[in-house]
Amino acid sequence: MLDSFSKRVISCLGAAAVAGAIAGVPAAAPAADVTITYSDWQLAQDIWGKSLRDAFAEFEKQNPGIKVATEPVALAQRDVKFTTAIRAGAGPDVFALDANPVKQYIAEGWVKDLTPFIDKEGGKKYLEDFYARALDPVTEGGKVFGIPKNIVAMVMVYNEPMFKDAGIAKVPETWDDFRAAMKKLTKATKPGGPVDQWGWTIVAAKAGFDLRFSAILRGFGGDFLTPDFKKSALDTPQAKEAFKYVVDMIHEDKSMPPGVAQVDANAARRMLANKQIAVKIGTTWSLPEVSGMNPNLDGWKVLKMAHIPQKVVDDKSVRSTLYQKSLFMNPNTKNPEAAWKLIKFMAEQKQMQKWFDDNLMLSARKSVNTTYKPIVDSPYAVTVTNEIDRAAFLPLIPKWPEILETFRTNLQDAIAKTKAPEAALANAHNQINAILARP
Amino acid sequence: MRDNYKGYLFILPAFLMLLVILGFPAVAAVLQSFNLMWVSKPAFTLRAYTALAQDPEFLRSLSNTVLFVVVVVSSHLVIGLGVALLLNMEVRFKWLWRVVAILPWTMPDVIGGLVWRFMFDTLPGIVNSVLLRTGLSAEPVDWLGQPDLAFGAVMLAESWRGYPYAMLILLAGLQSIPRQQYEAAELDGCSAFQKFLFVTVPNLKHMFIIALVLDTIWESRLFGMVFSMTGGGPGYSTQILTLLSYKQYFQFFNVSYGASMAVVLATVLFFISLPYLRMSMRQQL
Repeated sequence: MLDSFSKRVISCLGAAAVAGAIAGVPAAAPAADVTITYSDWQLAQDIWGKSLRDAFAEFEKQNPGIKVATEPVALAQRDVKFTTAIRAGAGPDVFALDANPVKQYIAEGWVKDLTPFIDKEGGKKYLEDFYARALDPVTEGGKVFGIPKNIVAMVMVYNEPMFKDAGIAKVPETWDDFRAAMKKLTKATKPGGPVDQWGWTIVAAKAGFDLRFSAILRGFGGDFLTPDFKKSALDTPQAKEAFKYVVDMIHEDKSMPPGVAQVDANAARRMLANKQIAVKIGTTWSLPEVSGMNPNLDGWKVLKMAHIPQKVVDDKSVRSTLYQKSLFMNPNTKNPEAAWKLIKFMAEQKQMQKWFDDNLMLSARKSVNTTYKPIVDSPYAVTVTNEIDRAAFLPLIPKWPEILETFRTNLQDAIAKTKAPEAALANAHNQINAILARP
Repeated sequence: MRDNYKGYLFILPAFLMLLVILGFPAVAAVLQSFNLMWVSKPAFTLRAYTALAQDPEFLRSLSNTVLFVVVVVSSHLVIGLGVALLLNMEVRFKWLWRVVAILPWTMPDVIGGLVWRFMFDTLPGIVNSVLLRTGLSAEPVDWLGQPDLAFGAVMLAESWRGYPYAMLILLAGLQSIPRQQYEAAELDGCSAFQKFLFVTVPNLKHMFIIALVLDTIWESRLFGMVFSMTGGGPGYSTQILTLLSYKQYFQFFNVSYGASMAVVLATVLFFISLPYLRMSMRQQL
């Protein structure tokens, strides 16, 4: 027997169904909307954030019933937020990562294996348009855990009129020429005044250190680790030369602004935008960002790009570092099918073309970089695309974040003169070997 | 008996909430330090604690923390007492001075760190700007790039931001000293300094211990100010224990190791807080 409350509920539901039918609404409720959460540090940035939101609007139009809720996260807090949430069984359904922490995410099970979804799309055929090396960071044990979106190589970004003013006719291709050019660019712009223009700056603060310093190290033919990632390679003559070269340019040449230990990627951009420096290491994203910081610079006109200098011209070895942004699915997602649809959509050719139009970022798909006319016609894109084959990822191992920070800390000691460059590098070498030897 | 039961029932929700909010993270940190929770391969081990004893970075951070806490808490007590004495005097617009004196305490530590970082910035910072314009320095000083200067700058910034906490405790103590004691001292012919020494100081003893213990705990746990001002650099020069624990846990994903540092710090702070706990329990009995 039904009690009076149950009877009331049933009669109300019945009345609602009848009312719906009368109003022309189907009695069966439509499929409930699915909301996918997406988190990305670039959501917090004006230009990049707008591109992402435009893409989600398009996705929602193409996929009625799936909504995308955005969750911006600061780059510095990204891993704190993601890893804590995922450990607790929560977190965004889809999120973006650069290549640095990916192997740790895979090892800890913080990203979902996407191989079954890729197999449904055609498996190898679906993946063959992506650069083979772009799949390295997201692949482990034959399983694919992420879909690469953008890939770029680091290059030298310079202010051409400042070079001309300093009498530098040719962009330096060797480190010796580069050092001489940086000395020429360092000067007081007002007669009798203090030095207020410097050649360049390295990034020695945490944000952006990895991509920039590694490019210098590789330009000298050195690297952080041996090719098998088992030992430190900081005891090689190339690494020693690169380390001393940078420290000498700070202390002896003074061709970098004082306070270099606190310079992060954004501070370097600001200095280039304000013509305090003439050169920095960057890539295609430098153009919109530096130009946006100081519209009076006329960045799209005055800024040019060239490859990282080397010890010997025409040396064919690796001379730069690759940056890659990829998309991942949270293993805790309740809507894996919808999450995959979003990842697939974001990695489509059309979206990657839009990403270049909006942000000058190259695609992880070969077909986009080689056939999309704006990319083929862009001198910036051509310079950076040519460098992709001359660049390598940073070591793709779970211990990499700790190794990098150990190296950076020792470099800061050398910059602060608390250790001689040789002693600081030897210390970094020993500490990194100890980290690698740990189980 | 029945009333007692009801009383426990009333405090049960608050007790449960405290247990979840305070107890769970503490238990989780201990379990993680023994590699038993939120790790890919849980298995009991003391490896994190044995590694701590041999880690020069941990020992360096520990000594940095001790130096930082000693200097900063001392400065808080000295500045706090001085300002509390001034605010306890009969002056015009006393309420306004009190508001001004407490302002640094209202600033979140991360924001405070960023403000001081901009002030000490080598090129556009106001400190260097003043030094260069007045001719006190011929070239910009790298305040946050030199280990000793950076450590000094961080301690100065935190001394400024945190002194109102000690000041408020000591001001409350000053206001509770019976006026008659000062009047008796005046009748005995005591000077202002003697009144301070023989009336104010003995009466402030308990408040002083409270301020000392609570501020020591607070400063030992400090994170945002140092993180946003120097990030622990240059090198390891301003790295305190909380920063190292954060780095190990969230940046290097060494969960057990990061948690073991937090457990060690919490244990030390528990013993530091014992005098305060004993004193407050004695007052309740």
